[in-house]
Amino acid sequence: MTHGLAHDTELTDRQFEVGMLTRVEGEGSLTLHVSDGEVVQARLGIFEAPRYFERLVVGRTPDEVIDIVARICGICPVAYQMSAVHAFESLFGVEVSPEVRRLRRLFYCGEWIESHALHVYLLHAPDFLGYPSAIELARDYREVVERALALKRTGNRLVAMLGARPIHPLTVRVGGFSRVPMREELMSLRRALDEALEVALATVSFVAGLEAPRFEREPRLVSLRHPDEYPMNDGRIISNDGLDIAIDAWRDAFEEDQVSWSNALQARTHAGEVYLLGPSSRLTLNSDRLHPRAAEALASIGLADEIRLNPFWSIAARAIELVHAVAESIDIIDGYRRPDRAFEPGTSRPGVAAWATEAPRGLLFHRYVIDDAGLVAAAQIVPPTSQNQAAIEADLTAFAPSILTLPQAQATHRLEQLIRSYDPCISCATHFLDLRIEAPVR
Amino acid sequence: MTPTTARLQILVCGNSDRCDDGAAIWAVSHMLPNRGFLEASGIAVTQCGQLDVNDLVGIAGPVLIVDTAVGVAAGASVTLDFDELLAHPKDISPHSSHALPIDQVIGISRSLRDAPLDGLFVGIGAADVGFGQRLSTPVREGMGQFVDAIELALMRLTAYVH
Repeated sequence: MTHGLAHDTELTDRQFEVGMLTRVEGEGSLTLHVSDGEVVQARLGIFEAPRYFERLVVGRTPDEVIDIVARICGICPVAYQMSAVHAFESLFGVEVSPEVRRLRRLFYCGEWIESHALHVYLLHAPDFLGYPSAIELARDYREVVERALALKRTGNRLVAMLGARPIHPLTVRVGGFSRVPMREELMSLRRALDEALEVALATVSFVAGLEAPRFEREPRLVSLRHPDEYPMNDGRIISNDGLDIAIDAWRDAFEEDQVSWSNALQARTHAGEVYLLGPSSRLTLNSDRLHPRAAEALASIGLADEIRLNPFWSIAARAIELVHAVAESIDIIDGYRRPDRAFEPGTSRPGVAAWATEAPRGLLFHRYVIDDAGLVAAAQIVPPTSQNQAAIEADLTAFAPSILTLPQAQATHRLEQLIRSYDPCISCATHFLDLRIEAPVR
Repeated sequence: MTPTTARLQILVCGNSDRCDDGAAIWAVSHMLPNRGFLEASGIAVTQCGQLDVNDLVGIAGPVLIVDTAVGVAAGASVTLDFDELLAHPKDISPHSSHALPIDQVIGISRSLRDAPLDGLFVGIGAADVGFGQRLSTPVREGMGQFVDAIELALMRLTAYVH
């Protein structure tokens, strides 16, 4: 039996279903079970068909793997390439030149810019401003959406400059890149980046003026941390509760498990605890590593605690990281000297290649077993969304009581907004609909 | 559809190294020129790895999107105008829209443009979007019909250009 929330105020035993998550790349659902007025279970179902990439790369060479894993995501292909290439280089003992290392950070900055701009403005902002989608937002806030497009264009140009095309880049290889740009090529992006910095700073002001739903919890936060830099490609895996392990040792602390309601594996600590990745975690654990312009922007809005405690404020974390990524891009380009070699030669060797980098949505772990022939014998790819699933469910459980008395449309909107706060990448993400409230059969 | 004197833009989507995902590129680059249509009409062709709002906002005239299609049988061709795409985005849509669904891409573009955005989508159903450059048998067999559909769409759109 299905009711609208607005028609039923007795909230004792109920099942809530956000049926189809639509306007997402992939398919999912949310089910909430309510007993005695309390949410006892929240399930984020992901029924996108398995894509078998971990099997697809078996029998391939490392450089083939780098091209193949880029196809996992149209929004964050750089992340997949970076985790893979660093894993192989670590096993093969290949050390890239400092210039190539900086170019890889620039590459990653491009991806963060395009991904965060998309999410802040086109996917998440409509929730805060009361619009069903960015289409309606664009009609009333043309300038806001134009900002998003300008930022996204600049991010795409950076990725295309280094990767030969804006999605599924082609140039990453073990030891470096197959080609590195001339200084003049990078300088051609400087004006766009100067403009992007202004837009990114305006983005911070814009999001600081939004009103987020009230919700606080103390999550376990996990991210990389580097001694000198805001984390992207290097560092150690840390948490706010004392975890501090090597970047290739993800399996020492975490494990994946299958749950019946999701085609994506869920990750937890070995003790079964959930944890949160992504911009809010990264920023909270590394705010002292932000670029000065980004640190200044964070201080000016004073939302550091809100970012840590309230998942809805992840929009502010993304805005701050936009400033960071643009400002660091400018610094890298200004200091750029074209390396003598685009890549360092290396020799394949058998063993286990593992690494983690910071995708826009959080820690992305890759592990490959390389056989004596130099081919991949086994692979494990742990994307941030699968690691965040359990944390999302825990947050939904904690948040849902506050929406139980709301009218159906409002309750749906709040639940959707919360899930979009994590920028799940089953979704290249937007709204999901069809909230149904079902009383259990008695 | 709104008449315009601007030139017509073809956005060719997909990747030629992903088997059938390269069908649109194959059709436009290898087969359409043989029919002498592109030269005769002064049509601008742009290749897009993915369909982006930025691709549509800056275009002055009508647009033809050519891509593999989701929701269509392998090798079958489909032609839809943008209003039809917006009305039923979950039924049939271009394959190459990673960041935003097609109704969002067209809807946002329409909201931002100073001029109307009209156009057609011509797609072909894919059987295999794995790795490699080989087209599947159904797509190879449907290619003639696909190019016919592209040509017909160009004729419809150029009626508003000239």
